[in-house]
Amino acid sequence: MKKLIYTIGIAIVFLSSCTTTSKIPKSTAYKGIYDEQPLSVLLMPPINRSTNVEAKEYFHSTLNIPIANAGFYVIPPFLSMEILKKESAYDAELFLNSSLSKFHEVFGADVVVFTIIHKWDKSGFVATVKVEVEYIIKSTKTNEILYTRKGNVTYDASVSTGAGGVFGALADITLSAINTAATKYVDVARACNAYTFKDLPAGKYSPNYKIDGEQMSGKKNYKVSLNKNYR
Amino acid sequence: MKKIIFISISVLLLASCTTQKTLYSWGKYELTSYNYLKNTDEKSIQEIIENYQEIIETQKGTRNVVPPGVCADYGFILLQEGQKEKGKQMLMKEIVLYPESKIFIERILKMIEE
Repeated sequence: MKKLIYTIGIAIVFLSSCTTTSKIPKSTAYKGIYDEQPLSVLLMPPINRSTNVEAKEYFHSTLNIPIANAGFYVIPPFLSMEILKKESAYDAELFLNSSLSKFHEVFGADVVVFTIIHKWDKSGFVATVKVEVEYIIKSTKTNEILYTRKGNVTYDASVSTGAGGVFGALADITLSAINTAATKYVDVARACNAYTFKDLPAGKYSPNYKIDGEQMSGKKNYKVSLNKNYR
Repeated sequence: MKKIIFISISVLLLASCTTQKTLYSWGKYELTSYNYLKNTDEKSIQEIIENYQEIIETQKGTRNVVPPGVCADYGFILLQEGQKEKGKQMLMKEIVLYPESKIFIERILKMIEE
């Protein structure tokens, strides 16, 4: 009996190590998403309030995958960026608190994703990057915030590379034209985005569409340590 | 014996955290798109084109469909490279795969003709 309890206890520890959730189901926390059932998502160029000028691109190039993989239609990022530039709408800061109906008209967007990078600090000696990043998904119909999370992420880049096995992937791939530092920092942003959007309600193209409302949402403000093995 | 069961259950639980198959496969998209965004030089353009071809031709995701935006962005880059016909074809393919893209993509197709 004792052994059984022990086993179950450990199993729970293992399971809970996957995610840190709040006590609020997604259908309550992100009610607007379940009500409006948005499909098309427009990614705005990240707003960079950190002192690292490069941080914007790290985030911009890694937002697409987690949102598409959650089952949404992500409006082609490069094509939409081009049009945003042409329409002098490239500065997302301008739209954070204004009407978004134009984005529905031009892009067919149901929601718009804002990313605000508050902090991006490298601590030189140890290979750590501290990031403070906020995500806001707003409806183009109502201008209401449908989803928001803010993360305090410590990324540990000292985790050994080696033959990663199932974990292998990004860090083992170094493109000819990109240096290893950039590869590392792209992965910092990737891990932040992947962690945050883990609790995004499933979109139309996901098998979990409309049936994941009972799952627990993640904490609205979270603190987490990540490394390149985080998927 | 019990120990073996216990260990195998633990491993299973751990593995279930990490080895989920995703809707789409993307190859090295995060890096190629970063590099394209940052540099937009000949090399980065070539690498992102190869990445798009890989995503389109050898899609390994559970949906077995090319992910959103890929055909359109690929088409856009082909247009920039002067490959007008192939670029337009890819843009139209986006509408076929994702009808919700029609508003935006048709606007682009019109702009090309102007």
